[in-house]
Amino acid sequence: MVKLEELKEAVKNILDQGKVKYVIAYKTNPNSLRTVPFFIKDSNDVDQITWNPLCVYNLARFLVDEKRRKAREKNPDTRPVGVVVKGCDSRAVNVLLQENYIKRQDVYIIGVSCEKTGVIDEKKLTKKLNGRRAQKVEFGPDSQFIVTTRNGQEKISAAEILADRCLECQANFPVVYDILLGEETKRKPEKPFQSVEKIESLSQKEKWAFWQKELGKCIRCYACRSACPMCYCDECVVDTINFAVTAETTAEEKAQKIKWVEKSPLLSENFIYHLVRALHLAGRCVDCGECERACPFDIPLRFLNKKLEKEAKELFGYKVGFDPDQPPLLSSFKDEDPEDFIW
Amino acid sequence: MEKILRKKDFPEWLKKLNGYSLYAPVKDGDLWNYELVSNPENINLNHSNTILSPKKIIFPQREVFLEFSTNDKGRLQVKENLPEEKKTVILGVRPCDAKAVTLTDKVFDGDIIDSYYNKRRKSAFLVGLACNEPPSENCFCLSVGGSPYSKEGLDILMTDLGNKYYIESLTEKGNELLNSAPNLFLEATAKDKKDSEKIHLESEKKLKRHIKDTAKIPAILKNMFDSPFWDEESMSCIRCGICTYLCPTCHCFDINDEVISTSPLKGKRVRTWDTCQFPDFTMHSSGHNPRPDKASRLRQRVLHKFLYFVERYNDYMCVGCGRCVSKCPVGIDIVEILNKVRDYES
Repeated sequence: MVKLEELKEAVKNILDQGKVKYVIAYKTNPNSLRTVPFFIKDSNDVDQITWNPLCVYNLARFLVDEKRRKAREKNPDTRPVGVVVKGCDSRAVNVLLQENYIKRQDVYIIGVSCEKTGVIDEKKLTKKLNGRRAQKVEFGPDSQFIVTTRNGQEKISAAEILADRCLECQANFPVVYDILLGEETKRKPEKPFQSVEKIESLSQKEKWAFWQKELGKCIRCYACRSACPMCYCDECVVDTINFAVTAETTAEEKAQKIKWVEKSPLLSENFIYHLVRALHLAGRCVDCGECERACPFDIPLRFLNKKLEKEAKELFGYKVGFDPDQPPLLSSFKDEDPEDFIW
Repeated sequence: MEKILRKKDFPEWLKKLNGYSLYAPVKDGDLWNYELVSNPENINLNHSNTILSPKKIIFPQREVFLEFSTNDKGRLQVKENLPEEKKTVILGVRPCDAKAVTLTDKVFDGDIIDSYYNKRRKSAFLVGLACNEPPSENCFCLSVGGSPYSKEGLDILMTDLGNKYYIESLTEKGNELLNSAPNLFLEATAKDKKDSEKIHLESEKKLKRHIKDTAKIPAILKNMFDSPFWDEESMSCIRCGICTYLCPTCHCFDINDEVISTSPLKGKRVRTWDTCQFPDFTMHSSGHNPRPDKASRLRQRVLHKFLYFVERYNDYMCVGCGRCVSKCPVGIDIVEILNKVRDYES
């Protein structure tokens, strides 16, 4: 089991040694059950760090912000940033490395193993507790969580309240790290694409109705895009403005910016947005599930990404984020790649 | 006018309102949202906070201002598209969300009169429901001049008294709705009034979140524009639009031409919600962006709500519904931020 004291010690050490400029970790939110991302510069604050089943965030997302911040600074501190990653998050770091978005020396990776469980889905927990409020959620022995309510502690089996993404997890311990905390416990899901198979089994008409209903809810707050560590483009097709514009860009070039998608949350535009995003994540999505968790309307976005993950695996034997040296799926070609779907 | 409506008569009343469009909170999955309801039997008012406030009805996310086209002779034709004035009853409005409507009124029905907003606003009847229990764990209405039973902005306030509602009609519009089914509304007794007042006072005690000394905050914020505080607080922001899109008081918008065809020309001029939290909100065509980072955007959200709006309209642009706190994907908490502001020493 990951010992919180060891995690604190590890963060304290790299901060005290000046190895990193800051560390991205988790801390408890004093006002609710939730944890929040924690950016720690001073090793005196390490006691606020936490590690529990509510550490849902993919902190690799903040490496994107760090790169943007560094680009804006005149004399940036070039030391790496420390980041606490779970298995899925570490795969995201690998994709960022693979795409040369960040360099290995830019990041100091503190891996934490989820071992036999993972993170919880707060909605599942709320339902399970049926009105009682959880005060604390901890990792228990075996595949259990220990939940504290007003009535005391109770054990809940992980399968009942684990986030859907964790039920289909393919990396329960980090695949890239500088320090690893916890054990390299083997836990391979029997059916890693179980959820998407449910949607696949629907008829074309049912699928259309399903997505019309789900994507019809979208208000285009872009929380899914914003929560995603892979959505780092400075220029996105859905934005009305091109961020690649500089003082040197000519008026003509600006005028030629094509508007691909309207800002209106109409079904047609919502479909374009979500399908473009899904396609741009093919061979890149690590199924950290943050898009779906961030969505205020509970749109099941993982299905889209999971489907493409499955296609990539079945058609090209491609697995995302395990090897930073493998060529990206959409920019590589092999003689033996199947062609039978091209007509 | 104070009345009593038995819960069993509630659907009967709604049936009498068949000349009105009826919006009510409807549950889909785990979420409540306002929807147009055709069968009043399906309405029950035990909703928690709706994911979007009635803002989505009065100030919809997409509003077609006008349609344009060229005719056979190549002449431009423009057709204004004002919303139809259809009387619309919005049921179960939480007092905070009703107060929010009075704040957007200040913007769209003040120095500048926005006819699109006002057509919808003037046809809306807001039937409120007092919060016997806070509908969200992040409710903080008491800290921003509201209360779980505030009447501001409402035409009717209903208070749940178990098997009946205590009904207070507050405006002519409220009276109109009660008069649609006069037989269903019974005289309220002094005891009913006392019971509802008791529930109201108890409901106040159930709120868990508070900003201390909110009144002191605008003056402090005034000196914090250049503070490193915003860098620290915005570190975890992921620049999505949830806090502002879900906010019942946020009202910023964008106007675009949606061109369907260029030859012959055909299209629509459309207003959509926009938000200061998107980087392109302030982007200039030169490529310069006066709010280039997350810190300046978070600062804008807080300062607009607790300084600029106060200076201009003498009220906070926040009603304490707690949506931005509950739904922020990274747990940014405006109550916590404002409490830190109050204690901030620069």
